[in-house]
Amino acid sequence: MIYLFQLMNGIGLGMLYFLLAVGLSVIFGLLHFVNFAHGAFYLLGAYLCYALLQYGVGFWGALVLAAIIVAAIAAVVETGLLKRIYRLDHMYHIVATIGLALMIQEIVIIVWGPVGSSVPAPKALTGAIMLGHFIYPEYRLFVIGFTAVLAAILWWVLEGTRLGAVVRAGSESTDMVSLLGYDINRINTAVFALGAGLAGLAGALAAPIRGVDPFMGVEALAVAFVVVVIGGMGSYTGALIAGLLVGIVQSLMTTLWPAGASLAIYIAMVLVVLVMPRGLLGRA
Amino acid sequence: MDRPIFHFALAALVALLLPFFIRSGTLATEVLVFAIAAAGCNLLLGYTGLLSFGQGIFFGLGSYTLGLALIHTTLPLLPTLVLAMIVGSVVAIVIGALSIRRQGVYFVMLTLAFAQLFYFLAYTFSDITGGDNGLIGIPRRGIGPLALNSSWSYYGFVAVIFLISFAALQRIATSTFGRTLLAIRYNGERAQAIGFPVRAFKIAAFAVSGAVTGLAGALHALLIGIAPLSDIDYHMSESLLVMTIIGGTGNLFGSVLGAAFYLIVSDTLSAIWPRWLLLLGALLIVLALFIQKGIWGLIESGVGIVRGRRGGPDAMAPGVSGSERP
Repeated sequence: MIYLFQLMNGIGLGMLYFLLAVGLSVIFGLLHFVNFAHGAFYLLGAYLCYALLQYGVGFWGALVLAAIIVAAIAAVVETGLLKRIYRLDHMYHIVATIGLALMIQEIVIIVWGPVGSSVPAPKALTGAIMLGHFIYPEYRLFVIGFTAVLAAILWWVLEGTRLGAVVRAGSESTDMVSLLGYDINRINTAVFALGAGLAGLAGALAAPIRGVDPFMGVEALAVAFVVVVIGGMGSYTGALIAGLLVGIVQSLMTTLWPAGASLAIYIAMVLVVLVMPRGLLGRA
Repeated sequence: MDRPIFHFALAALVALLLPFFIRSGTLATEVLVFAIAAAGCNLLLGYTGLLSFGQGIFFGLGSYTLGLALIHTTLPLLPTLVLAMIVGSVVAIVIGALSIRRQGVYFVMLTLAFAQLFYFLAYTFSDITGGDNGLIGIPRRGIGPLALNSSWSYYGFVAVIFLISFAALQRIATSTFGRTLLAIRYNGERAQAIGFPVRAFKIAAFAVSGAVTGLAGALHALLIGIAPLSDIDYHMSESLLVMTIIGGTGNLFGSVLGAAFYLIVSDTLSAIWPRWLLLLGALLIVLALFIQKGIWGLIESGVGIVRGRRGGPDAMAPGVSGSERP
């Protein structure tokens, strides 16, 4: 039974990892841009959620606002800064986004202090339900349900809408998309903001589970990279499968070998890379 | 300006002058230790075009190897340093061989994930590494009659090793091997087509870089008397890369400048304002936008202006990162 409990935890965790990684993956797919500030957007989302809750904004409001504010900040950063460096070597993408991540992290510490805090789950979801012989927190069930709906919407956006088609076409050839009359600059900004907003949302959703602390961004960035490496760059389905895999492995290991839970996901990554260098669903 | 002997003289000058400018022997030693590590990083990034986020692994393993050897055995100091180089090199070969199966950004992400793997290995097996507390109580053994107890005598020892490493790396960089690495950086496909075993060359570059970085890690542990967990974490890899890029890639002396700048500025600023990383972040953004060739690039173009010509010979190289200006 403990395994079922941990499996549920793993699915919840894995869906958050998916939200985090799919943004990174889509940004890379379209912009060929590796975003080391992705973890910082997650961090910012978590702290904004925490702050908005403290100001008395309801949980739903905090969740939505946190995601929107992070997306807006990302859009500004993309237009003002990143746009200028897309054509440079990826070394400069990494330097600039590491700089950006450092700045966001330090600003968070200046505003909210270096010590972490716990974040209360919304009142309606503080209860627990019986799952067989186990008591399972309602909030974690809500996270699973909410992220599942979100994943479905996202799939529809990427596969079923014109924007999604343009994004997918853009990741094949940006020049062709521009020639067809689409403003690639605006699409780039939109996709970057969407990816960052998803990371912010993942942070906001994670806050009541793990609390907030200024260094959660670095940790999240590394996990997002693992998910993308395992799932394959630019793949929605890959991010979903790998996110769930990483979440479940980490949760089950918490029971089997608590000290090695984090170690396990990196070992899983090495195993996948050894067998399939492109990741589970990566393209050539 | 491009002759190796001139760069070596500059490096020797830095080692000679640091004690006059820096009061703390520890900080001065740290500058040279990290200059060695940054030069090792530069061999991969600047000469081979491999942006490795795994340099902290080799650095940390060097620290742990030296610590474990000095605590648990009676091995003299020099063989211990060699051992740290071997461990750094062997692990670098394995990680290099696995990571170069992917290119570009994927390669970067793989090396970063490996860095996390080794961090959690060190964190999890705390019986061996001391985990969060670090491996404490590393004795600083002398070499024969030479005691290295005072901070400036240790500085002298590190300075000698720094100059030997610098000369060795220069030798490698200017050899046929180093030229081939540059060819791989500029155009890997062409190098492959000409018939160079590109994979083997990249792995060899990793081996050298791992050895040098492991040596630096060992010297760092010996300096502070412990092998801290922070020697192997993500931030170590990040700092080494940042030093290398600030100094200027593709130039070994640039790495010395980068390490000196990073350590001295961070030491000064962190004493004034604990949130100095905010300024470092801003500096990195400015660097990416405007100073893409780092401090060495600035110096080169400064000298170029004085001499009435623009840029060094590297500015002519096609398709090199940093050759595009905004």
